[in-house]
Amino acid sequence: MKENANSTRRSFLKSGLVLAAPLAAVGPPRVVADDGLKAHLARLEDEAAIGKLHQSWLRQINSGSSDALASMFTAAHGFAFGHAVRNIAADHAGEPDAIAVEPNGKSATGRFHCAIESEDAIPQDCTLARMAHAQGGGFVRRTCRGVLKVEYVKVSSSWTVARVEFASV
Amino acid sequence: MPKTPYPKEQMHRIAYTKLSQQQIADKLTGVKGPTSVSALSDVFSGKSMRIITDKGPALTYTFGRNNRLSVGENGANAVDLGYGALTLNNISFFSHLIAGTQRGYSVVVDQDTNLATVFELWFSGYQDNREVQREIYYGYVEQPGQPAPTARHVPTNRVEGKGFYWKQDTGAETLEFYPSAAYSHFVELSRFGGELGFCGPSDYVRINDDLYIYTRTECEFSGTFTLYVMDLNRIEQIGVRLGFDANDTLEYYLFRGEGEWLGQLAQFEKFGDETGAPVPPAANGETPAKGARRVYRPFKTMPKMTKAEVDAVCDKKTTAFAPASGPGASMAGNLGPATNWLAGKKLTLRYDNAPAMEYRFEDAETLQWRRESDSNWTKARYRAWESMPGVILFGHLLEGMPNHDGHSIVADFHQGLVTCFNGYLNTPYYANEAGVKTLFGVIEMQGLIPPKYNRHYFTDEMVGRAVSQNYAPGLTSMHLYSTPHSLSWIIFTTSDAGGLEWSGPAAYVKIREGLYFLYWLEEACNGTLGTILVNLHTMRDVGVGYHCGEQGLSMSAVGAHERLAGRFDILRFYQATTSGRMV
Repeated sequence: MKENANSTRRSFLKSGLVLAAPLAAVGPPRVVADDGLKAHLARLEDEAAIGKLHQSWLRQINSGSSDALASMFTAAHGFAFGHAVRNIAADHAGEPDAIAVEPNGKSATGRFHCAIESEDAIPQDCTLARMAHAQGGGFVRRTCRGVLKVEYVKVSSSWTVARVEFASV
Repeated sequence: MPKTPYPKEQMHRIAYTKLSQQQIADKLTGVKGPTSVSALSDVFSGKSMRIITDKGPALTYTFGRNNRLSVGENGANAVDLGYGALTLNNISFFSHLIAGTQRGYSVVVDQDTNLATVFELWFSGYQDNREVQREIYYGYVEQPGQPAPTARHVPTNRVEGKGFYWKQDTGAETLEFYPSAAYSHFVELSRFGGELGFCGPSDYVRINDDLYIYTRTECEFSGTFTLYVMDLNRIEQIGVRLGFDANDTLEYYLFRGEGEWLGQLAQFEKFGDETGAPVPPAANGETPAKGARRVYRPFKTMPKMTKAEVDAVCDKKTTAFAPASGPGASMAGNLGPATNWLAGKKLTLRYDNAPAMEYRFEDAETLQWRRESDSNWTKARYRAWESMPGVILFGHLLEGMPNHDGHSIVADFHQGLVTCFNGYLNTPYYANEAGVKTLFGVIEMQGLIPPKYNRHYFTDEMVGRAVSQNYAPGLTSMHLYSTPHSLSWIIFTTSDAGGLEWSGPAAYVKIREGLYFLYWLEEACNGTLGTILVNLHTMRDVGVGYHCGEQGLSMSAVGAHERLAGRFDILRFYQATTSGRMV
């Protein structure tokens, strides 16, 4: 069963999630650029790396491979997210994805308009609910549109996910 | 005078013997093949065929005379066996066991298409050895020089919602309902007197638009397996029954039957969805074992408590109308608004067949009660809902009563009539299993003169109907009121197909036109007494659940949005209907 629900702002990941993604490999520059060009190039590289990290993260969520997802998270936080959210799809009716890298190049934020499908287990407090669970159901799926706000931190030259929040629109 | 063949114990009360593998082996020794009242067919005599299945065995058959065949599995040496065959137009069906084993095959062959569906059957495959296990293989009869057909018989939901009366050549008469795509519900008219209906996991396989294969395993009961091919237009069947009866006697026979169409219930899957087997055989990510299926085993999982345990747990924790996170709260998702109409009122419910109950309603959630002969009042938490103008359902527990009673009451203040489903514990089989007494009577209160003779009454007007209930997101079921004394409940899957199903004793009371007060007992299940007031005008129900388990005694509210799902024409099959009967 699917239901549209207007959820309030919620935070799936409180803090400290680490999803490592190496920076994109870059070949040697053919020309020596000035500092501004170097900084611009570095920012583009960071944005590309974060984009790849985001796509990888989405694949793990949507494929339901919670084990793989968990292995990418710090132990304390990973599973809670993986079990509640079943699918995240880009909302092409929303604003374009936006990734902003801080000038120091060590942290960044991302805003991704999307539709999140979550799955909440129904308590097994009655015969009907127990039978629903017994046949592989017993949950309520909800889809809500909103914005994923992601905070990234670069750790040892790799970008990691530090915090993810979802706000409905 | 013909006797109604009521059994000493209903099916859910029979203590079927836990047969050992050796006992089953002994009982199968010497079995030459299935018996049959109807003449067996010699359609296969003198022929050979090789059946290729997609994910199962290749079976090489050579059929001799006198119902003998030889079969080789996957190229192994053939063994000689007894078999039986029947035909239904273009369908040929045969069944055999394999000597020295506890397994065999039942095979459906469509002679027009050469498609074949093979059911491998075996005993001692589950912790209850007598429960017949099955695996289904789809395939075809090899035709030399011709390519293998690509079509197959397929699992389907096209049978869902149908119901038939069947009479076998054995004389056995049943009502069989298929309100689920994974389960079925059956009423044994001739074997058990038709008092109650029962359920079993089922398979539905489409041969073509007219012909379907059906199976049922009587899990939680005798474990007997029934399979038949049915022609929905001619309403004819051929099939097999394999298992051990209540006396542990082997039943292995082919049958031929004829029937009557009883009607068609609505299906709730999306249009275009004709897929079958809606309940996955194993959990996500798990590879199902051979023969795996989801089976609802309520008796196995039910806590079975003694009177001492019930008394202790009731002392420890008794809850009436807990808040949203309390016992049974999920069933109240679509509960209508409560009424405070009773607050401040005093009245007496004078029952014809039980002590009168006096009430003082302090507010919308607190009342005091006492039996008319008592001097002390007892305070209780209650909730009330006005289902139809002037008709109020309310419920409360009766603290201090030796059997931990709970009352679910419908009071019609326009008519001055009251009906109470009086739930109680300490019942004969398991002390935590609810029993129920139905109390009829009148309301006595200031400004109301009750009738002298008129009463609510048991009715059969609901019998045959099916009504779906959506209690909350993700919690949708359907009631099938299949006999005057029992109902079945079907749980919908996430694709809104009928899934697991079970049943229990029930009764129906008519309150007003279009307003019915009914109960069901989840006997040998989890012991719950469910009571609902069904309003066919608003298509809404409200009610009270009464349950005792290891977590304590609880009374909880239930409320659902309903949909009519159809009606079977079945009243004529019950010898004595209950219309207008008074207790």
